[in-house]
Amino acid sequence: MRRRLAVLAAAAALLTGCTAQEHKDASTDDGAPRPGTLRVLASSELTDMKPVLEQIGKDTGITVRPTYLGTLDAVDLVAKGKADGAYDALWLSSNDYLRLRPDAAKKVVSETPIMSSPVAIGVRQEALSRLRWKPADVTWAQIEQAVQDGELTYGMTDPARSNSGFSTLVSVASALSGAQSALTDADVAKAAPRLKEFFKGQQLTSGSSGWLASAYARRGNVDALLNYESVLKGIPDLTVIRPTDGVITADYPLSSLAAADPAARQDVRRLAEALRSDSAQRLITERTHRRPVVPSVKPAAGLDTSRRRELPFPGSRSVADGLLDSYENELRRPSRTVYVLDTSGSMRGDRLDRLKKALTDLTGDFRQREEVTLMPFGSDVKSVRTHVVSPADPGSGLDAIRKDTDALSAQGDTAIYTSLEKAYEHLGTGGDTFTSIVLMTDGENTSGAKADEFDTFYRGLARTEQETPVFPILFGDSDQAELQHIAELTGGRLFDARTGSLDGAFEEIRGYQ
Amino acid sequence: MLLIGGVVAAVVAGRQGEDKGTATKTVQGVIGSEKAEFFADPDVVKALAAKGFTVKTESSGSWAMEGLDLKGYDFAFPSSQAPAGQLAAKYDVRQPLPRPFYSPLVVVAHRSAAEVLAANGLATLAGRSRGTLKMAAYLDAARHDRTWQQLEGADRHGELTGTLYIASTDPESSNSGALYLAAASYVAGGGKVAASTADIDRTAPLLRKLVSVQGAQQSSSDGPFRDFISGAGNPLVLVYESQVATLLGEQQSVDDLVVLYPDTTVNSDHTVVPLTDEGRALGDLLSTDPTLRKLAVEHGFRPQGDTAEFIAATAGRAAYLNQTLTGVRQAPVPTSKVLHEMARRARG
Repeated sequence: MRRRLAVLAAAAALLTGCTAQEHKDASTDDGAPRPGTLRVLASSELTDMKPVLEQIGKDTGITVRPTYLGTLDAVDLVAKGKADGAYDALWLSSNDYLRLRPDAAKKVVSETPIMSSPVAIGVRQEALSRLRWKPADVTWAQIEQAVQDGELTYGMTDPARSNSGFSTLVSVASALSGAQSALTDADVAKAAPRLKEFFKGQQLTSGSSGWLASAYARRGNVDALLNYESVLKGIPDLTVIRPTDGVITADYPLSSLAAADPAARQDVRRLAEALRSDSAQRLITERTHRRPVVPSVKPAAGLDTSRRRELPFPGSRSVADGLLDSYENELRRPSRTVYVLDTSGSMRGDRLDRLKKALTDLTGDFRQREEVTLMPFGSDVKSVRTHVVSPADPGSGLDAIRKDTDALSAQGDTAIYTSLEKAYEHLGTGGDTFTSIVLMTDGENTSGAKADEFDTFYRGLARTEQETPVFPILFGDSDQAELQHIAELTGGRLFDARTGSLDGAFEEIRGYQ
Repeated sequence: MLLIGGVVAAVVAGRQGEDKGTATKTVQGVIGSEKAEFFADPDVVKALAAKGFTVKTESSGSWAMEGLDLKGYDFAFPSSQAPAGQLAAKYDVRQPLPRPFYSPLVVVAHRSAAEVLAANGLATLAGRSRGTLKMAAYLDAARHDRTWQQLEGADRHGELTGTLYIASTDPESSNSGALYLAAASYVAGGGKVAASTADIDRTAPLLRKLVSVQGAQQSSSDGPFRDFISGAGNPLVLVYESQVATLLGEQQSVDDLVVLYPDTTVNSDHTVVPLTDEGRALGDLLSTDPTLRKLAVEHGFRPQGDTAEFIAATAGRAAYLNQTLTGVRQAPVPTSKVLHEMARRARG
């Protein structure tokens, strides 16, 4: 976990690992300071603030240049001093985790909460009637019972990447542990068996709320999503329930950074004031379904104002990190992942070295119980090597992955589709795991099955097999249209490593595995 | 997630020239977050400009100001004397320090919570929207890990579950959180202000409890107050009276709000630490200029040495505010050193 953060922080500093979509914007943005422009390190959930920020830009002349990053990674970046001079402000879903890291907290000067949104569960209409729940009156204990009875499945974002996932995890752990005040290590240990049961119901995981929503729509057989109320309100056909036994609420503090230029910090203050104005607060609640923090503006229609207990956020880093650690390594369903790796002739030299380095670095990030298969290919699949990170001896599985990585060599043509078919055959039906395929290629398909043949193959798979997404990575001279098609067909997502590091792309995909 | 957003809006040219054409001095200060609205008020900006000042402020926790690099700043304006004294010593600032206004610490509650407290002998209510929190009874409940479920009548309100506590700010970075501990230790110490290590030892377990049940605490007083307003957060939140008064000034009635004055509380003396001559001139102006004093009162601050002004200005808010502070005892604040040590031990 800590190892992963280090790598990701480095990647973020280089502004890498972005998708093709966002990458276009990035090419016009050199990250240099400019008067009247604020460089803001922001939670990915804040992408929906674009119309509000556009309006404020017109009113105040302040332009916001956001860089989106998961909360925990952003905090790590700040703690290590890597945000100094690179960003003027920090705008996370919450500063709760930041406060647990004194080295990060001391880099922040002012904090202005802008809006709020509680953790909630959005339940599909059909499931709601089946469960006979009254939305105003559902507890976490009831949700847990429904999961245990096999009556409820759900998706949530990865707590290690996304603040919504982390807040959900803390909400669930606090509620199910029966803790009356802030969680302690003992509470977490005591709740572990119940939590493990609860997380058996998790059928979808995601590094971002946006992809979670589209995966949910595509699957059609997942009953509910756990996320912020604001995110769930934007998804059709979900009834949004705030469990009566307590939630954690994000309050989105716009925070100025001590290392920023004083003029920039003044602009941060002006931006905060503008965001707190009645007109902006109204726009926020109407457009983003978040709750205003000024009494003169009422929450948008459809946001239930009955009160909920606010569950305290853990007061120490050991509790927060311990909870995250046990989620990753014990509580959640394990992952099975196939890495389909292009080692054709064109990868020879620098490209292969970069692949080896990225994979080797990634071994610091595999979770216990995870099954990792390396499937290097050229004109055909060259080998299929599967390793499990066993809790009893995680080192040996990881060593074996590193050893196999080191032995990779580049030769042959590029049989993308044939290799993907073999990856699907290898995974079969997922069983009680999260299955996914990562496809890394530096060129277009030159041998074996053709694109349309793969389409036919995929459509012929059993439904449970089709639930395995492919996450292609653009690298070298790979064909964007070809890879985009694979991502769309299989319900995956395209990642871009052409300009940045391959490490960044691999790391980002971890949130989806 | 590693997405890079694009430029969201075009820069409007010509903002740089804001201060042109007037003979104003621009002074830069770091202030407690509860005073941010005061300095942002267009009337305050105008009144300061009339006296030749353009004031640029930035909010910070009062104790956290000590960790900031204040080079280029003209003043710091923490929320009480203790952090002000420490800053004055650090920057070698001449005494006396201007103390234009003060504000007692109060507890805001939703009516459901206030009524349950009253029904269980932890508070008394004077009308619908104002009351007194019995500190000794509250501390006793805290000592025994009392939960809302154990209080009569709480079961009628779904949100009233879990340990009964007042949410405060981080006492190591923020003034209000530290003063909360000062008031609690004074009551728990039998009406004696803590002065020695033995005094600190005696109340340390209780203070630790008051803080640890809260989990992560915010670093300045605006945060928990905003959570309360947005309908999130704990049912009981420690804030400055001025924050409530400002809210009531903007919004004539806040239907569900009850303001509980702890029967023993601490006054927060907002103290200016001048770092330059301009900073001192501003501090003096805030104390003496009638227009600025009046505006400060409208923002719910109590000017030093004049209760009549406050009572007159807040007449419309009397249902919520205990204007004369009847039945409210002022606990003296321990020295900075003692307070710091208390906060450190409470945070664990």
